[in-house]
Amino acid sequence: MKPMIVILKDGTDSSQGKPQVLSNISACQAVAEAIRTTLGPRGMDKLIVDKRGKATISNDGATILKLLEVVHPAARTLVDIAKSQDAEVGDGTTSVVLLAAEILKSTRTFIEDGMHPTIVIRAVRKATALATEKIREISINVKKDDAKEQKLLLEKCARTTLNSKLIARQREFFAKMVVDAVLMLDDLLPLNMIGIKKVTGGSLEESRLVAGVAFKKTFSYAGFEMQQKKYSNPKIALLNIELELKAERDNAELRLDNVAEYQKIVDAEWTILYDKLEKLHRAGVNVVLSKLPIGDVATQYFADREMFCAGRVQDDDLKRTQKACGGAIVTTVENLDEKSHQIFGTCDLFEEIQIGSERYNFFTGCPRAKTATMILRGGAEQFIDEVERSLHDAIMIVRRAVKNDAIVAGGGAIEMALSRTLREYSRTVAGKEQMIIAAYAKAFEIIPRQLCENAGFDATNILNKLRQKHAEDNIWFGVDVTHEDVSDNYTSAVWEPAIVKINAITAASEAACLILSIDETVKVPKSSSEISNAAKAMNMD
Amino acid sequence: MPSVGTLAFDEFGRPVLILKGQDSKKRLFGIEAHKSHILAGKAVADTLKTSLGPRGMDKCMVSPDGDITITNDGATILSMMHVENEIGKLLVQLSKSQDDEIGDGTTGVVVLAGALLEQAEALLDKGIHPIRIADGYELAAKIALDHLEKISETYPLDLKKLDPLINTAMTTLGSKIVNRCQRQMAEIAVNAILNVADMERRDVNFELIKVQGKVGGRLEDTLLVKGVVVDKTFSHPQMPKQVQNAKIAILTCPFEPPKPKTKHKLDITTVEDYNKLREYEKEKFTEMIKSIKDSGANLVICQWGFDDEANHLLLSHELPAVRWVGGPEIELIAIATGGRIVPRFQELTAEKLGFAGRIRELDFGTTGDHMLCIEECKKSNTCTIFVRGGNKMVVEEAKRALHDALCVVRNLVRDNRIVYGGGACEIACAIEVAKEANKIPTIEQYAIRAFADALESVPLALAENSGFSPIKTVSDIKSQQIAQKNPRLGVDCLNKGINDMKSQSVIETLIGKRQQISLATQLVRMILKIDDIRLPGESED
Repeated sequence: MKPMIVILKDGTDSSQGKPQVLSNISACQAVAEAIRTTLGPRGMDKLIVDKRGKATISNDGATILKLLEVVHPAARTLVDIAKSQDAEVGDGTTSVVLLAAEILKSTRTFIEDGMHPTIVIRAVRKATALATEKIREISINVKKDDAKEQKLLLEKCARTTLNSKLIARQREFFAKMVVDAVLMLDDLLPLNMIGIKKVTGGSLEESRLVAGVAFKKTFSYAGFEMQQKKYSNPKIALLNIELELKAERDNAELRLDNVAEYQKIVDAEWTILYDKLEKLHRAGVNVVLSKLPIGDVATQYFADREMFCAGRVQDDDLKRTQKACGGAIVTTVENLDEKSHQIFGTCDLFEEIQIGSERYNFFTGCPRAKTATMILRGGAEQFIDEVERSLHDAIMIVRRAVKNDAIVAGGGAIEMALSRTLREYSRTVAGKEQMIIAAYAKAFEIIPRQLCENAGFDATNILNKLRQKHAEDNIWFGVDVTHEDVSDNYTSAVWEPAIVKINAITAASEAACLILSIDETVKVPKSSSEISNAAKAMNMD
Repeated sequence: MPSVGTLAFDEFGRPVLILKGQDSKKRLFGIEAHKSHILAGKAVADTLKTSLGPRGMDKCMVSPDGDITITNDGATILSMMHVENEIGKLLVQLSKSQDDEIGDGTTGVVVLAGALLEQAEALLDKGIHPIRIADGYELAAKIALDHLEKISETYPLDLKKLDPLINTAMTTLGSKIVNRCQRQMAEIAVNAILNVADMERRDVNFELIKVQGKVGGRLEDTLLVKGVVVDKTFSHPQMPKQVQNAKIAILTCPFEPPKPKTKHKLDITTVEDYNKLREYEKEKFTEMIKSIKDSGANLVICQWGFDDEANHLLLSHELPAVRWVGGPEIELIAIATGGRIVPRFQELTAEKLGFAGRIRELDFGTTGDHMLCIEECKKSNTCTIFVRGGNKMVVEEAKRALHDALCVVRNLVRDNRIVYGGGACEIACAIEVAKEANKIPTIEQYAIRAFADALESVPLALAENSGFSPIKTVSDIKSQQIAQKNPRLGVDCLNKGINDMKSQSVIETLIGKRQQISLATQLVRMILKIDDIRLPGESED
């Protein structure tokens, strides 16, 4: 190694110039390598154990990258785009990373040959704009007014997403469930109004969708078993009140100088609680839910009066109950009486049902059911966790598709179409940009190529077939994973919302441009790792 | 080359750090990963293999604290083994979820999953893509499940004729330590379930059945109490040991002058005040006793304690009392006796009292231990199984065995379809799956055939544990099943001389078997899908 003149603090890592760009590109390559095999219906899962020994099994690009703890500054960019894709559209996290890495890889030769990064960046930007425009142009709009048709479309999109997941075999079943759940929501499609509850045990097909709310039985005190567990058209009170005998103020202290007052204090405390309980009872409430604890006295009081109660209900569960059943979450019972209808919610049926080894409270047939609950069943805990992540992706896709009804064909079809368009365009460009756009066009082929590789097909062969088909203007031809061939993925209903692809391509190109434009990294050792911290501590001794 | 892809080098040949602590992280990739998973899964399954069936052996587990558990319940063994390996943990969860959902067949499900993994190994060596193996398994599982449904028989569920139910429970208990008094235990389990079963909803609330154990006596002394048994005695040795036609006051308030919850202080400055306080306390006690007397109760059950003064007062007023009864027990007593839990003396009224025909203290041998037995209750739908046994291990194992039996009977109440045990239904399914395999055009065929072989692992293990030549026995049965078209032929574990499981009445529930097959298949799919494991390295210091 060459001798160096020290300018910066000892241990500062600084590298610059062309080597820096190239080394950043290699780092990104390494990250993409880690999730390469998860793409597509024959993609594999990763098992990652973190420091605390918690195992995660996942096929979701964003989840895997998050758990890998990438520290390389340039490579972190890729993690970030995966995260942003996850936040924005929810699916396609693996493809966005692959695409970015591939764009970098294909431009690498130009950098090595001494082309200036800014020229590369300019060309990449141009190509991106063209590509997104092309997607908009060829994407197919499906009529929204026909509810039945729309539902079919949504189901197909959900199915395509689920194809690569653990539950691929049950995709029909889950796609329908996801679409039903999303369509139950109001126009804003808030994600948190779909509750996902996991109960281990049972088979996947026993999972079900509840039009309304379901949550696990909360901790209960003696007396709970004597309460009625089934009501039709109950009056539901949603509270944020502690129904417990307790000290009114923690720091208060009573000083008594007379025995007679002693009893009065005790009575006063009881009266406070009993007043609350009585108000609820007199208002004709059947089901009492509270975010705060409901103590044993209250439980027994309610049991005596044929009312049901559940304390310590989770915040989001309570909010969803409110959404579904109407009513309001109240923090006082002072003004409750029979007339205050708007405060109470109601539904057709409230019931406590045993699922597996857990008991669940169900509120079904809600008048304003803008919420849905999925109850997932399955073998192991990690299994259900992964099912939940898969369904989350599918829900996000369906939400996107509801708002944005343009779709394209998946399975590498759209990528091949873009690749062809850009390649043709590149021939019309004079100058250096021609080669870069052609390289960019080739980068798109990574998606079908990886699909083939993961499925164990001869990638070159399939790609050649695809290129030939696309040259004949069959724009929807993509990889057919089941038959080891190419097929028209539009007719075989491998559909993805166009917005997913647009977002993926933009994000990937931006990340690639960002990485290309970095020519120097200055890494100050203090923040880099604990080892240097420890070293510093040792020096101080 | 396990760490390929995570290590990149820059232009000077220095390694670039991409992942946090990447040199200490362990990574297994590709076929290596699959092999290691399969090995781990097989190892876990092999441990359990010898516990299968009526001639299965028990395992003795010593916990870090030196507690000894002897059991042959799969779920219990696995949870006590503290499996470290991630794949091993998945199998533990698998067995647990079978336990949660069905309660029985926890060993069988792991053995099946182990066999499926073993078969997958051979297929991987042939070069079949792991996901195609998983696909094949799922296809096969579907065939097997359909066939199970076909060969299942609807079981007469008649409340007057309990024999069929008892036979099923006996099958479950056959493999347990309690099979010395199999019949008696089975009867207890069936009676207990029928006592609490809600035949209309086909639901059984397990919380109404309590299983209590007490060391001493013989297993044959185990009995079913239609009522509640609590591990408590009357608070005063001079109280009567038996109360007929008890009217019970169930209290959750302590037998002492009520105290406010708020922090308080009573300043006593003069002797007069002191006397007043004493008077007050005394008055309170008499008041309490009076309110109980007034309500007409002749027995007091209290969640809290009371001091000697109160105890004495109760005795002198001829009120037998029990103190420190736990919350769940209080609840059970309240449900059983039709009483209400009373949180305050002021609320005690005649209608809130519970009624029991007979309450007596049971005493055991020379130990001087007593238990309270509340029988002939008003609503006798709670019951307690009171298990006796020579030592703690036996009692605990008997409790687990009874739990399994209870679960099986409950499952029959829920769904009264059955299949025949002793490996009969597995062999029948294996034959069917193997037959169907030939009709599948794709390479999944191999996986389906492997699935058929894996299904035979259960009868093989059964035969082996019973001391037969496994291959010969199973192939004999197989040929007989085909020749006689009789899916009821199984392994004659008990050497009764007949293979027909119907005449041996070895019966298992359909849902239990279904669950086993679908859970095992799901889990194997999950394991096969993983091609990359990352483990945190041991910390360096």
